[in-house]
Amino acid sequence: MRDRTFRMQAVLIVLTAAVLSIGSGAFERAVAGQAQTAAAAQAPAGGQGRGRGQAPPTAQAQAPIDLTGWWVSVVTEDWRWRMVTPPKGDYSSIPISPEGRRVGDAWDPAKDEREGNACRSYGAAAIMRVPGRVHVTWQDDSTLKIDTDAGTQTRLLHFGDAQPPAGEQGWQGYSAATWEIAGAAARGGGAAAAPARGAAPVAPAAPRYGSLKVVTTHMKAGYLRKNGVPYSENAVVTEYFDRHNESNGDQWFTVTTTVDDSKYLQQPFITSTGFKKEADGAKWRPTPCAAQ
Amino acid sequence: MLATAVVALIGLTTPLAMQATPARRATESSRRSDRRMFRALCTSCPDTTDFAVRGALQQGGGAPPRDLPAAHAEVHALRVQGNVWMLVGGGGGNITVQAGDDGVLLVDTSLASLSDVVMAEIKKISSKPVNYIINTHVHADHVGGNETFGKASTDFLAPTQVQIIAHESVLNRMSAPTGRQPAFPAGSWPTDTYFTKQKEVFFNSEAIILLHQPAAHTDGDTIVFFRRSDVVSTGDIFQTTTFPFIDTERGGTINGIIAALNNILDITVPRDKQEGGTYVIPGHGRLCDEHDVLEYRDMLTIVRDRVQDGVKKGMTLAQVKASQPTLDYDARWGSNAGPQTTDQFLEKIFDELQATRK
Amino acid sequence: MRNVERVRTASLVLLMLAVCGRPAFAQMDFSGVWAPLFHEDQPERIPGPDIGDYAGLPITEAARTRALAWDASLLTLPEHQCKPHPSTYGFRGVGNLRMWSDQDPATQQLIKINTHIQWQEQHRDIWMDGRPHPPEYAPHTWQGFSTGRWEGDTLVVSTTHLKAGWMRRNGLALTDRATMEDRFYRHGDLLTHVYIISDPVYLSEPLVKTNGFRLALNGRIDPYPCESVVEVPRAKGEVPNHLPGTNHAAEEFAAKHEIPVEAALGGAETALPEFIQKMKTLKVPAQTPAAARPAR
Repeated sequence: MRDRTFRMQAVLIVLTAAVLSIGSGAFERAVAGQAQTAAAAQAPAGGQGRGRGQAPPTAQAQAPIDLTGWWVSVVTEDWRWRMVTPPKGDYSSIPISPEGRRVGDAWDPAKDEREGNACRSYGAAAIMRVPGRVHVTWQDDSTLKIDTDAGTQTRLLHFGDAQPPAGEQGWQGYSAATWEIAGAAARGGGAAAAPARGAAPVAPAAPRYGSLKVVTTHMKAGYLRKNGVPYSENAVVTEYFDRHNESNGDQWFTVTTTVDDSKYLQQPFITSTGFKKEADGAKWRPTPCAAQ
Repeated sequence: MLATAVVALIGLTTPLAMQATPARRATESSRRSDRRMFRALCTSCPDTTDFAVRGALQQGGGAPPRDLPAAHAEVHALRVQGNVWMLVGGGGGNITVQAGDDGVLLVDTSLASLSDVVMAEIKKISSKPVNYIINTHVHADHVGGNETFGKASTDFLAPTQVQIIAHESVLNRMSAPTGRQPAFPAGSWPTDTYFTKQKEVFFNSEAIILLHQPAAHTDGDTIVFFRRSDVVSTGDIFQTTTFPFIDTERGGTINGIIAALNNILDITVPRDKQEGGTYVIPGHGRLCDEHDVLEYRDMLTIVRDRVQDGVKKGMTLAQVKASQPTLDYDARWGSNAGPQTTDQFLEKIFDELQATRK
Repeated sequence: MRNVERVRTASLVLLMLAVCGRPAFAQMDFSGVWAPLFHEDQPERIPGPDIGDYAGLPITEAARTRALAWDASLLTLPEHQCKPHPSTYGFRGVGNLRMWSDQDPATQQLIKINTHIQWQEQHRDIWMDGRPHPPEYAPHTWQGFSTGRWEGDTLVVSTTHLKAGWMRRNGLALTDRATMEDRFYRHGDLLTHVYIISDPVYLSEPLVKTNGFRLALNGRIDPYPCESVVEVPRAKGEVPNHLPGTNHAAEEFAAKHEIPVEAALGGAETALPEFIQKMKTLKVPAQTPAAARPAR
């Protein structure tokens, strides 16, 4: 009797230790797996999700951070290159190439206005540096939308495996988005497949931390700054959005932006821009693009 | 959640084990053994009910500790360096404690009401008797404990006569001519005064230099330099809490304070990159080094220069005040109440500079 | 009877190995040498900011007054020469950054993360072992006292006990009451550093700035010794400063860059987009001829 009790204890202890030693990352994956299993159980046979009957979590459901809401840029850096139009030929801080300098020196804002290119400095490579407000919402559960009041622009950040359409896609180009989950074994995961048709997407236990990664291509050639510092149609913009909350309750996101453009830049141009959350859109003031 | 699992499992196994051996219970020694093992293997685990590995862990640190209310009778000891400690808090002036084989030397003795608390802190530092008290100046929050700490020891085996050392102006202000009521009881008066530029003491294997600072906070100020420990006690010439109190009734002047601060800067030597090295114990406030004195000196010099400029231009006191010569420093150093408001501080500077101009 | 003891001992060992053996959840390795990126504010951060440029910073009137009184000649005083940047500025300055971790050799638990910036050898300990901050009466240092925690992969640091320092190298000061929270985000070989500085005296709201770094596999950190000397003979105790009303640097800066003086003088509103509209209603000063400047 005594020996049986000891054996029961030993088994219990070993099992518990084994479960604990897998670690919390596995715990999260186990939970996600359970959620996926639950979703699969709900999906009808022959659905579109991964595996038979499974409804994978949507990008919206998977979001480790919440970027939705009204945000205002707080310009504590590069003030005189952002809050006012810098003089022609002022390329301070930008690793501009000789070709970029040549094009920049030919900047003609009046010509841009005449030719309908007033929005050149509001393209995806620069828009987050333009002082203004952004409104971030989910257009659908796999598309995050960023509206800007400065220049009245809209960016669509697409989650999923869809390839960008061919050809130039306007000032904002095509943005492919992924979640980077903190502590995930395979970073970059999060591009969820569409849920099974007819299945209600079941949100897994979303990890608490992570970033949004966005890669934007197929942009119309534009300006990194209002004074005509160029980027080409082949530029690639990689952004990381990170959230933080201050101890006084203020909420922020910081977007780290890398612009790769071998034509006009000698090296990737990297900036980081802060936005503070506002309670609502009371100060939202859409304005048209202005070339100067 | 993890801690709960751990505790639950330990809790589960203990009664099970006990049931399995009704004749034997877990001994106290085995529980202690568990605790030691727990601590050895898991120094970063959070507190559990049974196994307190450390004190309460704090994640990330919070806001800095606040000022203690003035009436809060809590005095804290902080080891400075060498033979020197600082006692701070309780609403009185800071006390410097130098302790060693020879005994204990105090610079200032804070408020009389704090003597018991101060004595308790000194006893944690050294069990030796107090041999010397040095007073930086005459104010009650720095000499209040003189009578208590200055009492000669009546221990037959270790008789001690405490010497209370100060500039002679301190004795003059604490005592009174025959027939007049002294400001302080005789037991608190200095027993050994000096009237020259400096005085030297050697105690606990260390040279201690007393440097008179004329017409500074008062007319009897001494700064004390512990040469081997590399610590300077400044009295109220320097503090981290407010603009300096210029005791004009007892011969204090702004130019004297600034000169004294410059003298302190002549003594202090930072260890590296303007940090550490000579430590400075102010009359009130936190432990400092040269850079802290430098900021204070700069601030007072700039304020003085602004008032001086106003006096030179023939401005009235009201005009000088209206020009807000302390605007950039008020929120950090200013005061609207207490022994000296910012307004009063400016008045004293103005009066002194105007008198000097004539 | 001994079996009871063995079971409990074995259970404890297994559990502790399970708990302590697993890696801490979602931490990031910041070890390495990081080269600062000057793709933002390069003129301010390398050659130096214009005197009188306070635009975009949430400064108080006290800070503004203090900055307008500041004379760069102050730095010629021997006691001012070897000051390193405080941690409230250092990450914006020049010089590579090295980060590394210290682990407890027995348990491999993280004790602290170190940062070392080359210029003036700014070394900061970020304590990760849960220790509390020192009491109020402890000395203050240039780097302050820092403790850190993880938010996922992000290192979040809280710093107190800072010496009186600066937020910009043109006299915009911070007091010894300033505190800072900073965050380290790593994305591949990019490090984004965000700092949030609070100062009840010189800031009307927290100042938030970001700095970028790139991992430099061949990066190096050289020593940076400093020795004070008398650069300019002065009377003992002389403190260079501008008397009130004598420093026109803000007007000169504003005129040079064709912005209103109100913008140059800073304040929280100057960082917000709506200030662009307000600037259109404000006067831009004309360039001040050198001859017209009042003599000191």
